[in-house]
Amino acid sequence: MKCPTCGTGFDSNDFDALGKHFYAEALRSDGRHVMWLNRNITKNKTDATALSGLFERFFALGSGGLQGWVKRRFIEKFYGPRPHPFVSALQNPSRGTLLGYVVEHQHFLRQWVRSCSFIMARTDETEVVMYELDNINTEFGGAGPDRPSHYELLLRMGESLGLDRTKVLATPPLPDTKDAIRVWDDICQDYHWVEAMVAMHGLELIANRNLRKEGASVHYFDPEILKTGQVTDATKAFLREGYEADVGHSEEALDLAAKFAGRLGVVDDVQATFMRSIDAFDNYLMARLERGKQFETA
Amino acid sequence: MRLPEKGCALCEATWGDYWEEVEGQRMFFCCDICATEFKNIVREVKAHTGWKNIDEIRMTGDYRGRDCSALNADRKYTFFIRFDSKGEIQTFKEVPTPR
Ligand SMILES: [Zn+2]
Ligand SMILES: [Zn+2]
Repeated sequence: MKCPTCGTGFDSNDFDALGKHFYAEALRSDGRHVMWLNRNITKNKTDATALSGLFERFFALGSGGLQGWVKRRFIEKFYGPRPHPFVSALQNPSRGTLLGYVVEHQHFLRQWVRSCSFIMARTDETEVVMYELDNINTEFGGAGPDRPSHYELLLRMGESLGLDRTKVLATPPLPDTKDAIRVWDDICQDYHWVEAMVAMHGLELIANRNLRKEGASVHYFDPEILKTGQVTDATKAFLREGYEADVGHSEEALDLAAKFAGRLGVVDDVQATFMRSIDAFDNYLMARLERGKQFETA
Repeated sequence: MRLPEKGCALCEATWGDYWEEVEGQRMFFCCDICATEFKNIVREVKAHTGWKNIDEIRMTGDYRGRDCSALNADRKYTFFIRFDSKGEIQTFKEVPTPR
């Protein structure tokens, strides 16, 4: 298993070693480890043994298997009683929020294709290759003029709000976006492809409308905006794509990954890497809001 | 300055062992990022209010944004603050206090 913060490796399911590692890092006030403890385990200092027990509980899969655990952690982080501020802003999105989305997400989607390509290059499993091919086409390639890619729909949303695509493409990412992209690039190049799969496709849960049934406090956006004239048609087209995606299909990646993680004995690595990925995603969503501010005053 | 009874002056966590002198007072923080954030809050409040000192800063919220009230004798200054992942201010919004 791995440290969810720095990636240091330990024996499989060695919560004792993981607890000791975090305890030692906290003693020397390492910001990343301390914050991880504060946000995910407890703000109250314990001894190393008690901490190991808390980690064991944190990583216990429960009856829903790896998929259920991944969803639970994702909901906790983004869809709890205080949803992520970007999600709150997207309930009734302003022009600035949507343009912040466009400018930063362009970079995310370019990395997305790289990430999926690394997974394809590093797996031997045909099912996985087929899944990633399909995903890359949906997100980036498109399927002819009638089925534009998500990337194209994103750029059109920007244009419908008065932002030329040449400007979007020429704008470098904000530092938090850049840092997050580096995390995903590292995971997909260096970690097990099953870890990479969950690190990337687990993020697609953000738009999964099933999460409401599983305890999420809100949807990604208020579905009513798809019906009213509050946002542009191109915005509706972009948002609808994710919202109306076949619900079964959206969790196919997690099912595939859970199958291979079990078979290949990498479940606990997958969990730790997923936590790293959603921390990066948290910062990245903040960067969308930060970028959006530039358009609020304009 | 009045501080939380225990734990980090910013987030009240009891992990870590990081000390810094702020406004002439030795303060405990869980990590250097919380210390940076706290010092940024103090600097910003003083710049906005012109106060020479702050008696207390009350905070609610979490790492993605905190609603704060700074107190000085019978005066109160209310604001919302959000930091980037390095502890630098990303958003600062003054909230008018009803009288
Ligand atoms: Zn570590
Ligand atoms: Zn702290």
